[in-house]
Amino acid sequence: MELFLQTLLNGLLQSGIYALVASGLALAVGVVGIVNFAHGEFLMIGAFLAWALSAYLGVDPLISLPFAALAVFGVGALTYRVSIRHVLLAPELNQMLLTFGLGILLQNLALIWLGGNTRTVTTPYQGSSLSIGELSVGGPKAIAFGLAVLILGALYGVLYRTTLGRQMRAVAQNRRGSQLIGIDVERVYLIAFGVSCGLAAIAGVLVAVLLFASPTVGLVFALKAFAIIVMAGLGNLTGVLWASVVLGVSEALVQTYVPGGGGWSDAVFFLLIFATLVFRSFRGAR
Amino acid sequence: MSRAMDGGRAVVRRPDVPLRALLPLGLFFLLALVFPFLPLGERSEYLLQIAFFTLVAGVLALSWDILARSGQVSLAHAAFYGLGAYGFALLGKVMPWFLAMPAAALIAGLISLILGAVTMRLSGMYFAIATLAFTEVVRTIIQNLPEATAGGANGLLVPALLGGNARAQYFLAFGILLFTALVSLAIRRSRLHHAFAAIRQGEETARVLGVSVVKYKLLAFFISSFLAALGGVLYAGKTFFINPLETFSLANSIAPLTTSIFGGLYTTLGPILGATVLRVAEEILHNSIKNGYLVVYGLVLMLSILWLPRGLMGLLRRGKHGGDV
Repeated sequence: MELFLQTLLNGLLQSGIYALVASGLALAVGVVGIVNFAHGEFLMIGAFLAWALSAYLGVDPLISLPFAALAVFGVGALTYRVSIRHVLLAPELNQMLLTFGLGILLQNLALIWLGGNTRTVTTPYQGSSLSIGELSVGGPKAIAFGLAVLILGALYGVLYRTTLGRQMRAVAQNRRGSQLIGIDVERVYLIAFGVSCGLAAIAGVLVAVLLFASPTVGLVFALKAFAIIVMAGLGNLTGVLWASVVLGVSEALVQTYVPGGGGWSDAVFFLLIFATLVFRSFRGAR
Repeated sequence: MSRAMDGGRAVVRRPDVPLRALLPLGLFFLLALVFPFLPLGERSEYLLQIAFFTLVAGVLALSWDILARSGQVSLAHAAFYGLGAYGFALLGKVMPWFLAMPAAALIAGLISLILGAVTMRLSGMYFAIATLAFTEVVRTIIQNLPEATAGGANGLLVPALLGGNARAQYFLAFGILLFTALVSLAIRRSRLHHAFAAIRQGEETARVLGVSVVKYKLLAFFISSFLAALGGVLYAGKTFFINPLETFSLANSIAPLTTSIFGGLYTTLGPILGATVLRVAEEILHNSIKNGYLVVYGLVLMLSILWLPRGLMGLLRRGKHGGDV
């Protein structure tokens, strides 16, 4: 029983990061209508920023977090300006392939520049742990989860309580209609895409603390984020939270209870994608 | 259109591929045929190896393009390439290579029917994600199989093709690319071409026109995967050694996709041309940068989408109508 609760807790904590990555992706899909295959690479940039600031300037990742988020927001906005904007009306395939190309480009630039090694960030709280009754939680994991909850709370606050958020949701629902009532759609797209990338970067900083930074670290998170938004339904922001928990907990269950689970737990999200897609396709939704 | 969709053999279509358009393709194969006999000097062995892998890249790209013609833009090409490689590695131990080769390709082709059936009703990004997931599932399964069977994460030794004779291997690759090109041209001239195009441009409309979408989509999957697996066999037989990470690497799905788009989608010459250009560029870069030469593919993909949507073929045929091979 204790093992089971511990497993559930681990899964839940893991889902915080998943939700961060996936909500960013869902924002790009829902508002801008772009399936961003380079999402993981923005996460990777965030992770490397955290590592660089910590290794060269001795800045704690938790302090560099807002700077990484802002910097990658800028990178995302720039990316939107120079590339994404030109394919907004192009066939879906072209959009997909464009971001796919961007992802490969960024990943391999990092590989050329920084090499394929993994870089770890050391923090004073790395070895710490929290205990709740019989259960124990690693300090960084708990901090990461807390931050993820905070940031997601802020995101949903913005989306549902501010003018910008309302504009984003309006554009997501109907681009032309929003234009007609005087919303600057172009600006909303730019901000939404930037925020989407910024969220990935925040997740990246947390990933650098929990795991490591490497050129390919983003890929697996992006794939899991795809699984989550496919489960949630494309562009459904609330569903993302539930789907993240489902993914996090099922991975933890597989890790604990399936023999040799470490190797198989990475296949869990593919099974979830497959199951969801097959279920959808037979139900006839698209 | 309606005539082409008629049943029966009475439909005789005029070949809509003029001979003149076949000229560049013929030229390519002629060059490839005489390549090993050119006086290449000291580096001939190295150059022959590059040429070999260029041919393999051509097989991979062209087979990907055949699938794309039916509107299925797949990220699972690495899976069938890898299944071909692994199938050959395992079957090659119990049967001669000329049997193991088609057998491995057949297995990959049959497995592709499963993927095709599952993803039948998915389109666009759903299809792309599902195929990407499929590749990872295949890799995970092979990696977690008992080491005695498939070598696990460490990899597997493969019997060398044709006793490791580089020139013979080159001609085998040449033959397979020629075969792939002939299949592609045959599709271009048959009713399959029209069926694929109809499905690509609108599945519902195709269905209304009387195209059996399920049959043709699966057929495209089978042909494409069969050919991709032959490419995998060449790769495995050339390198003697395969492991799941490299064989099923995303790069093996990206390369054919980028190559086809860069060369010119839905043509026979385009993917082959693209493979030649990109493969040589990759090799040049490979010497100066160890890792990350895929950067070329990323850049080329982005630039092609933004400025060269019809690829190299579009440049070659600017202003001319039809006749694309």
